[in-house]
Amino acid sequence: MRSIVRLGVGGVILRALLLRSCALRRSVSKMAASSGRVLKSFVQGCCGCSSVILPSIARNVILQKPAVTVLARLVCTSSTLQRKNIAAAGPEKYTQEFIKKQIEEFNIGKRHLANMMGEDPETFTQEGIDRAIAYLFPSGLFEKRARPVMKHPDEIFPKQRAVQWGEDGRPFHFLFYTGKQSYYSLMHDTFGKFLDIQKYQDRMRAEGLFSQETKQVNLIGSRWMIKEELEEILVQPISDHDCLRFIQLLERILALPYCSMEEEYIQRFRRALEVQSKKQKIEPLQYDENEVAFSTGEGRRKTATATTIVRDNGSGNITVNGVDYLHYFPVLQDREQLMFPFQFLDRLGKHDMECKVTGGGRSAQAGAIRLATARALLSFVTENEVESMRQAGLLTPDPRVKERQKPGQEGARRKFTWNKR
Amino acid sequence: MALKRLNRIVQLSHTVSLTRPLHGSGCGLQLGAATQTEAPMESPRAVFRTSESEPASHGEQHIGQFYTIPPSQVKTIFPHGLPYRFQQQIKTFNEACLMVRKPALELIGYLKKADPAHPSVRYVLYGERGTGKSLSLCHALHHCSLQDWLILHVPDAHLWVKNCKELMASSYHRARFDQPIEASVWLKNFRVTNERFLKEIKTSQKYIWSKREFTDEGRPLGEIVDQGVTRVKNASDAVGVVLKELKAQARPGSYRLVVGVDGVNALWGRTTLRKEDRSLIDPSELTLVHNLRKMMKNDWCGGAVIATVTQTGSVFTPSSAYLPQELLGKEGFDFLDPFLPVLVRAYSEKEFESSYQYYRDRHWIQHHTVDSLKSILCVSLAPPAGHTEEGKKELLFLSNRNPAALERLCAFL
Repeated sequence: MRSIVRLGVGGVILRALLLRSCALRRSVSKMAASSGRVLKSFVQGCCGCSSVILPSIARNVILQKPAVTVLARLVCTSSTLQRKNIAAAGPEKYTQEFIKKQIEEFNIGKRHLANMMGEDPETFTQEGIDRAIAYLFPSGLFEKRARPVMKHPDEIFPKQRAVQWGEDGRPFHFLFYTGKQSYYSLMHDTFGKFLDIQKYQDRMRAEGLFSQETKQVNLIGSRWMIKEELEEILVQPISDHDCLRFIQLLERILALPYCSMEEEYIQRFRRALEVQSKKQKIEPLQYDENEVAFSTGEGRRKTATATTIVRDNGSGNITVNGVDYLHYFPVLQDREQLMFPFQFLDRLGKHDMECKVTGGGRSAQAGAIRLATARALLSFVTENEVESMRQAGLLTPDPRVKERQKPGQEGARRKFTWNKR
Repeated sequence: MALKRLNRIVQLSHTVSLTRPLHGSGCGLQLGAATQTEAPMESPRAVFRTSESEPASHGEQHIGQFYTIPPSQVKTIFPHGLPYRFQQQIKTFNEACLMVRKPALELIGYLKKADPAHPSVRYVLYGERGTGKSLSLCHALHHCSLQDWLILHVPDAHLWVKNCKELMASSYHRARFDQPIEASVWLKNFRVTNERFLKEIKTSQKYIWSKREFTDEGRPLGEIVDQGVTRVKNASDAVGVVLKELKAQARPGSYRLVVGVDGVNALWGRTTLRKEDRSLIDPSELTLVHNLRKMMKNDWCGGAVIATVTQTGSVFTPSSAYLPQELLGKEGFDFLDPFLPVLVRAYSEKEFESSYQYYRDRHWIQHHTVDSLKSILCVSLAPPAGHTEEGKKELLFLSNRNPAALERLCAFL
């Protein structure tokens, strides 16, 4: 049901946001802003325009267009010189006010959207917004990033650094002239913490309360940040070497006995690893009339789909589409595929199985049945075995499908015979 | 080290004690049978063999055990009768070992009880592909041969209806076709099997082969066979004559005749042979087939007809067909009706176990321990029980207890 609501403010917002998504597509490639370019764009943007000098500039203003001009006189320039070199200007700059306005518009738009969809504006979450947008603007595009999106401006506009110097031209940060001020200040702070821990250690030693058995920081299930994530935090490009040095410093801190003092600080730079096996949905065992436990599973491979029912207290009878598996799969390779899940779990003669399979060829059908069997056996098996099955590759659906044929070629990869003339 | 060896011995005996109940329980059943040479307990691993080489004395207690056919008998009784893969196995293992199974025992039981005065009973062995129909037939024929019957064995009737290089028009009957090569080969093998009888049986009428050749009445049948072998052109007719004579003279007083045909459904199916004008030949237009069909009728006494219906080797039949009705077609079924069907199934647990032990005994299946050092030190001892069991379970699964599938699996293991 589409609501034919007069889109007043909301319409403007949504239109603006659509435009923003176009902007996103363009600026997807240029994400990081650099402060060095601000100066350059200052000068370049100035050619051919004359505007009033603003008396005061706030500390955290992010400049979009240059507010201060250098030239006051008209210069005779040709149109080619006046044409703006868009590429050289670097990524677009957004001012603080602009971002604030966008955030306000977003919030208002969110409330309008909630209204339109008949939901409560107070408890309207981002998932609700996504669903609403997908409903109101259905898109057939395959690239998910090209579809219309309405997110909080902080997620859309890349974080940019404020102007680093005051109106007298003096930079605010003491490490500005190193070129990578945020990175070096981070290193400085971290090393400061390292020295604090060492000082504490010395104090404990002096008081005689030093002990090696202190609480250790738990590093299991998490990993260090990668360079890209660090760049995002610092809003500044760094090199691989820089990132490595930083991680090494953190590990040096962790080597100290009293590192748990700064555990919070360190955990900020670790990202959790998802436990893969938790993603497996394990159906509970079902019981049929004769009190025999059974479980179903589905699997797909290429174009074949298979559904299996694995029953307990069996003797290894397997039926595929009503036919004995020896006759359905005369080739040894296919029967080995059927055998793999049972053999891996050491349950070779213990289950009976009925499968139905359609589509695909003989190898695809065998692979589909194997996946379906593995999924069905999940219900009979312990957590550790689930993890080992996942690592063995029994639970991963094979993503390989037939590649499409391209025009101008005979097949997916094969080209037409090359003729010299 | 010594401890490891001890462990291995313990595991070995454990394995043996697991397998013993399957075969050893039969030993208790032998009471009161006349010839008792039983499943030898001399080496505990040889429980899958029996030293009874007379099929007549095979009984329920021998099911699942292998008995050896002496090489001399193999050469006389089965010059062409055994399936090709079995012949290769004989060559590899240097012995011809056949497993005693229920269908064969059933058949032998019927043969023993059959009354020679009644018309010959027709037995049809049927079953899925690779379950052991041909070898059951061979077992029964071995029994008949040791009981001094005349054996007429057609190892594969399918060979007569396909891939014939030379097909010539029959001189005897204008509409029929002869197959000289197949006929002469069969006659040669027939001669090897039944030397003794060929001298005793005499022809009952005169046969004229050509303007200058003829066979008188009262000559031994061997001469007809020689005629067929030497004059290949008349081989098919010679076969026809032999069949006719044998059938006519098989009476309760004289010899007993057993006709064993493997793939009898070929006689009523379709052929792949074509005439010169590219039209398909019907099986009834082939001399050999025509004469053999006459043998299959139950209008004679003093013998038996054992046939198998197989899909392997047959032309124009789907691979899922195994029942006599499907394979013989209406015509064949009506011709053979009434017959005694004998179903041949895949191996049972015990038979599978036995077959597996046989291959292990012949060192055909070997398990290598993972650690090479261990394998050097413990060469004479069996591998740990775990390896054996897992491997056996895998074989069981992959072959689904089908004898042919197991044999093929083990072929390149």
